[in-house]
Amino acid sequence: MLHHPMLKSRLCWRTAITQHPQLKAYQQALLENLARNVEQVSLVAIDLEMTGLNPACDQILSIGVVPIEQGRILLQQAQHKLVQIEGSVGQSATIHGILDMHLQQAVSMKTAMQWFLSVTQGKVLVAHHSPLDLAFLQEGLAQAYNEHIKLMAVDTLALEKKRLLRQHEVLQEGALRLGASRARYGLPVYAAHNALIDAIACGELLLAQVAAMGGGDKLKVSELF
Amino acid sequence: MDASELQPITDFLRQLPPFDTLSANTLESCCRALTIGYYSKASTYVPLDESHPQLYIVRSGAFEVHGDDGDLIDRLGDGDFFGFPSLLSGEKISNKIQILEDGLVYHLDPDTFNRLRSESREFDRFFNRAFAKRLRHQSRFKAKELGSTSRVSSLMSKQPLTLDINANVTQAACLMRDSRVSSLLIIDNHKLAGILTDRDLRNRVLALGHDGQLPVHQAMTSHPITLSSSALVFEAMLLMSQHNIHHLPIVDNELPVGVVSSTDILRGQSSQPLLLIGEIERQNSLDSLIAVSKQIPLLLQNLISADARAEEIGRVLTSVTDALTRRLILLNQQILGQAPMPFCWLAFGSQGRQDQVACSDQDNGLLLAHDMDEQAKGYFDALTKAVCAGLDSCGYIYCPGDIMAQNPQWQMTLKQWQNKFRHWVDSPEPKALMHASIFFDMRCVYGPQSLFDSLQSQVLASTKDNDIFLAGMAGNSLQVSPPLGFFKKFVLERDGQEVKGIDLKHKGSVLINDIARVYALSAGIKEVNTAKRIRLLMEQNIINRKDALNLADAHEFIAHIRLSNQGYQFTHNQVLSNYLMPQNLSSLVRHQLRDAFKVVHDAQAGMKLKFTRSF
Repeated sequence: MLHHPMLKSRLCWRTAITQHPQLKAYQQALLENLARNVEQVSLVAIDLEMTGLNPACDQILSIGVVPIEQGRILLQQAQHKLVQIEGSVGQSATIHGILDMHLQQAVSMKTAMQWFLSVTQGKVLVAHHSPLDLAFLQEGLAQAYNEHIKLMAVDTLALEKKRLLRQHEVLQEGALRLGASRARYGLPVYAAHNALIDAIACGELLLAQVAAMGGGDKLKVSELF
Repeated sequence: MDASELQPITDFLRQLPPFDTLSANTLESCCRALTIGYYSKASTYVPLDESHPQLYIVRSGAFEVHGDDGDLIDRLGDGDFFGFPSLLSGEKISNKIQILEDGLVYHLDPDTFNRLRSESREFDRFFNRAFAKRLRHQSRFKAKELGSTSRVSSLMSKQPLTLDINANVTQAACLMRDSRVSSLLIIDNHKLAGILTDRDLRNRVLALGHDGQLPVHQAMTSHPITLSSSALVFEAMLLMSQHNIHHLPIVDNELPVGVVSSTDILRGQSSQPLLLIGEIERQNSLDSLIAVSKQIPLLLQNLISADARAEEIGRVLTSVTDALTRRLILLNQQILGQAPMPFCWLAFGSQGRQDQVACSDQDNGLLLAHDMDEQAKGYFDALTKAVCAGLDSCGYIYCPGDIMAQNPQWQMTLKQWQNKFRHWVDSPEPKALMHASIFFDMRCVYGPQSLFDSLQSQVLASTKDNDIFLAGMAGNSLQVSPPLGFFKKFVLERDGQEVKGIDLKHKGSVLINDIARVYALSAGIKEVNTAKRIRLLMEQNIINRKDALNLADAHEFIAHIRLSNQGYQFTHNQVLSNYLMPQNLSSLVRHQLRDAFKVVHDAQAGMKLKFTRSF
């Protein structure tokens, strides 16, 4: 776990070196969140669907976001965007069920990234296995803004791993997957999967984890990283 | 934006009354309006914001609604609601919601809630009805836990009319006339000495030509048959019909506390089990007895569906078995003639404990007044074979371990039984004791009680404070633990690849029976019914009140789950078993079951500490 000052200086540094004003403002807006209690800040759970697992050659298919305010997941503001890709959905369609025909409603990467920044500005990102999602988003932002920035997000997978290891449990294969992690908190099984539902599922998992860690009224945001 | 993207949430609400009455579009807009929260039992209560009333929809977890005074009003699990009373009444929130198990809860804002009420009459009616019900049944759970409805205490006339034993019959008659009652309890030095009824005044005073100066003790029935106030109404009915009496004094701790008359009982009690027993007592052939016994599974199902307490079901079913046994003995004696000596028909195990359920096998034995000669051997051989075969035909299958009265090994005189028990008690070899434990739950079903008492009192005298024997008994029972693993997860029984589920009998009920038996034998308690044993142990301060109540609750709860599981199996034409799959339970019941097993676990630890530490 990174201590708060280190986390803060890292974020300050990232803000300082960012050139594009919109991206700079985005990073800036996050700074004051770190010292606050989890319940006092705006969080947003996100999930991405991709054509593969390699950010260098695979593409984002869809992005789901759902805000969490004061410990409540707000379905009213849950949103889902499909992103245009080059070529076909191909084999990955069998996993995420997005077919080429759905992609007709899709928006360009630039539009998607502008939308993403606007709906998540000033909010702390939350994702399950966040490094993967962030790598794709950073790639997308680089395409849209011609600048490579580093994003940060609370990783519910990392939180779960830390918790299990602290309890000296042997990590079984698959034990950290979203569904398996949720099951440990008695959270319901969601049969359907898309970026939006997985974002909601990830948000619910975070609420359960925060409760297990002592509650959102006591826990600092920086303690989640 | 396509609302069906929230499919898991829409799916959940779509099958949940009253949301199932909403149109697809309304349902989707309703899902959109939800917010999701997670409540952890670390915070004990759900924080209810006075200024923002909402409808709370439980998605997972377990909650309890408590009133102002802390009374339990309702228990909630998946798909239950709270918060609607103040949404409907606009009054401030008075109930508290305790979190039993962490859970996910959906919140619906008042605007959407009211919009749905105005759009759908069914939706509106559902919550209005739920609100009315909540108000009416504020103390529903309390009443149910006491099981007061079917106890004698609920029917008896409290503060019974009493008269001193030195009064005369005129005074008695005047008191009865003035108070418009048909019976009086006669008291000698605060204790019950007898009962005087209308019938006694007629038969023992007028018909014999006595005058009004006759002392009541010459007219009354002395040492009348009595019951305790915790007895079941059903047991009162049974006693009355067996002895052809209409009044039963109710006595607790030797003090008269009430009277139950047959009229009290007729007033509103269903008498189905009693009818069945009456029918059993009227049958004159084995064939007709078998035909009557076909109703027993149905009786069990009716009792289960009427949500009778498991303890009561056990006692009712055992009474039926007892009646069948007695009837079979009498019918066969009509053929074989009078027995050459007094004897007791002993019931062991579940029949002894009065907790029989479906598909019980028979465990019985014979206690004889003295040694048998050849002729007596022939007589009892014929009698026991006929009775055991009769029970088998009536659905109580032969004991696989051959613990039956027809086995010459279990036909013994008082002296032989005493020696047998002495052998078990004095040299408690673990394996032998394991098989012997059912014998310590013995009850006399037929025959002179005095003969049985001489056996039981000798057995209890030898077990009381007998450390070595009790350690052996306790040690045996501790071989099996309740099916809870780490983190309170259920441990399921497996048969090769097939998961059979939780063994509610051997990992639950049996363990509680064992614990109650060890403690009861250590204290020389005569009672063999597990619930009654626990109650007596509590009253004698051998088990502390809290632990005893917890253990009794756990016993009832596990037995109840076992019965309702078998009820489910019966209605679905499945083979009846003691195995339960936990995923078939709601999260609330799972939670309670885990708690019940936890109680068993703790009670085992207590028993281990008390009885086995020095060995």
